[in-house]
Amino acid sequence: MTKREFLDELRKRLSDLNDEDFVSSVAYYEEMIDDRMEDGLSEEEAVEAIGTPADAAAQILKEMPLGKLIKARVKPKNKLPVWAIVLLIVGSPIWLSLLIAALSVVISVYAALWSVIASLWAVDLSVALGAFASFVGAPILFATGFGWTGLASIGAALFMAGFSIFLFFGCLYATKGMCILAKQIFLLIKRAFVRKEAVQ
Amino acid sequence: MDIQMKRGILDVCVLAAIQYEESYGYQIIKDIKPYVDISESTLYPILRRLEGAHLLSVRTAEHSGRLRKYYQITPAGRDRIEEFKEEWKEMISIFQFVTREGDNSDKT
Repeated sequence: MTKREFLDELRKRLSDLNDEDFVSSVAYYEEMIDDRMEDGLSEEEAVEAIGTPADAAAQILKEMPLGKLIKARVKPKNKLPVWAIVLLIVGSPIWLSLLIAALSVVISVYAALWSVIASLWAVDLSVALGAFASFVGAPILFATGFGWTGLASIGAALFMAGFSIFLFFGCLYATKGMCILAKQIFLLIKRAFVRKEAVQ
Repeated sequence: MDIQMKRGILDVCVLAAIQYEESYGYQIIKDIKPYVDISESTLYPILRRLEGAHLLSVRTAEHSGRLRKYYQITPAGRDRIEEFKEEWKEMISIFQFVTREGDNSDKT
């Protein structure tokens, strides 16, 4: 392996490092090979004495502080070329409206799911209120001479009270389930974005 | 040898290699090699670490048409060597205790 091959391979393996560490690491190995050659070794022998580029790179990366490594990985690899930026701007009427449409679909699905929950609660509330009204109305019916109707009203009130308590727990479970679902969806979206930058 | 211990010893060896005059990477390796096994790949992180801890400083100078880095010890680096000597005095007395002959041991 020639010195050039060694250094090229090393550069490839260290491409994740920040500029300063990258330049300094490559310069170090270049200096080492040069010094050995100056000491009388042939280029081939000098490179061989250093070891493989893979080992050299592994050693450098191993000793890097973790924080620095993560920063190096997460940094944007390359900026967008000019034509891509131009294309982005020219195409903005298309992709922007598509993006807005996609976003509104997502939001409306989300809103629809929550409105099901809201309507469940509304049903429960109205049943409970109905129970309360029938219960309050019963004495009035009795007082005004509608005895049987009043009795029926109390019966209805009891039924609705029981039903509303039953519904209450149903609503509670539905809401809890919805919260978990929303969290899952949120995590899924987050993961889709983070995965590209995860440290591997 | 214990990795942590070897690491500390290598640090001091590198400092010792430059304690009297500045030196460069390959020379440091040649100076240390008779005593401790060290390779280019091991030396590099040590130099970085010592530089980061301000135990040595670096200057770049031209040498036969190319650049070479020279390393100088700092006062803090000298302190580190002194510290090492003190630690080892302690270690030697412990070693003597551990390896003492049963017959010769006085009861102190």
